[in-house]
Amino acid sequence: MTHKEHEDYEVYEVFSQETPLSKFESQFSLLAPTPEIALAMAQENFMRRDEDPANIFVVRRKDIHYMPPEKRPALRRLDNKDYRQPAHYAYIPSKWRELKEKNKVSMAVRGGDD
Amino acid sequence: MAKAATQLGVIDESYEEKYRRFMERIERGEKIEADDWMPDDYRMQLIKLIAMHGVSEIMGALPEKEYVPKTPTIKRKLSLMAKVQDEVGHGQLLIRVAEDLMRPLGKTREDILADLLSGRLKFHNVFHMRVHSWAEAALIGWLVDGAAIVTQKMLANTSYAPYGRALKRIILEERFHAYHGEDMVIALGDGTPLQRKMMQEALNNWWTALLLFFGPPEESGIDSNQDLNIRYKIRTKTNEELRQEFLDKYVPQILALGLKVPDDNIYYDEQKKRWVYTQPDWSYLKNYIAKNQGPRSQNRLKLRRIGFENNAWVREALLAKQKQIV
Repeated sequence: MTHKEHEDYEVYEVFSQETPLSKFESQFSLLAPTPEIALAMAQENFMRRDEDPANIFVVRRKDIHYMPPEKRPALRRLDNKDYRQPAHYAYIPSKWRELKEKNKVSMAVRGGDD
Repeated sequence: MAKAATQLGVIDESYEEKYRRFMERIERGEKIEADDWMPDDYRMQLIKLIAMHGVSEIMGALPEKEYVPKTPTIKRKLSLMAKVQDEVGHGQLLIRVAEDLMRPLGKTREDILADLLSGRLKFHNVFHMRVHSWAEAALIGWLVDGAAIVTQKMLANTSYAPYGRALKRIILEERFHAYHGEDMVIALGDGTPLQRKMMQEALNNWWTALLLFFGPPEESGIDSNQDLNIRYKIRTKTNEELRQEFLDKYVPQILALGLKVPDDNIYYDEQKKRWVYTQPDWSYLKNYIAKNQGPRSQNRLKLRRIGFENNAWVREALLAKQKQIV
């Protein structure tokens, strides 16, 4: 292949999905002249070992919009959003136990299923 | 030059400032992506290292491919072919990474392959050597791959993220390669007296090449880019540290197979916690390998050239825009 012919090849990013409920996972990139050949190469290059994937797909890299380096710092969140995390409410299960203990709630009171 | 802040708050920095911020990121252990700003020598070191790694995978497939028709059983043939295919696959991953780095220089994979064929780009020393027997093919799967695994595990922590991602994939497949090699040498080393003799001869023939594999030690007085690559965290260990790790892992396996390390002076210094061994002639790398004057250098390059030319029609047939036949 010469430099001239190289211009007919494009970079494709390859993605796969392990099961129908899995998220799409980036595998790697490859160089191919058409999407069909990119798919065939993706299977041969990246799917030789893992469990059979549910699906694979390829995207021309130039069609993907990446966050440019100068904007990436904005992806960092301020570290003051604990309340969005379940861990922030970790006291709750033991508090329930404590309240039930304090107010003497038993299965019998609840009408009991034991 | 003072900073010129634009309306968007994007700061136009001088080279020195960009460099300082880059080094701060490196020192914090951050990973660099292909579109991040990077100093020219960082880019050039990566291109050199990754292109060499990539073509070495492809050139490394050749000595193993030579043994596909000569395997003792059909099962060995199947597993060896799978391995050869993996090596070429690794070449494709690495050349992609190198290609993205070369884009700003207006270069492509054609330049990498042209540089390989013209001798401007080196490939790994072990692939310049002759493979004399099936036992040597087995030993390559065991110890050459073993040496590669030691190096690649270290490089997987590289500061350049795309290289690290490629290596993560490669290392997963190398786990098969390691067992593939061990399966072959266990069969021979635990086999008949003739098989054991073949195995010992294979080790004798390859020992020096295996020591040379990791490159000269720092104190050998031979120039290398180790310091620069360590400063940029492209790599994190020295040649000698890697060689010591290799000996830690494989000398016990060599002995377990009932083989003798072909160095009468090798011993483990318990106090310094390191192997002391007879130094090979490190200048062989510069004087022969780098000049493609190893025993099989020219032959393997010729094979690569023939393969490249014979397969040209496939690459052409795949082109999206077919040339018009008049």
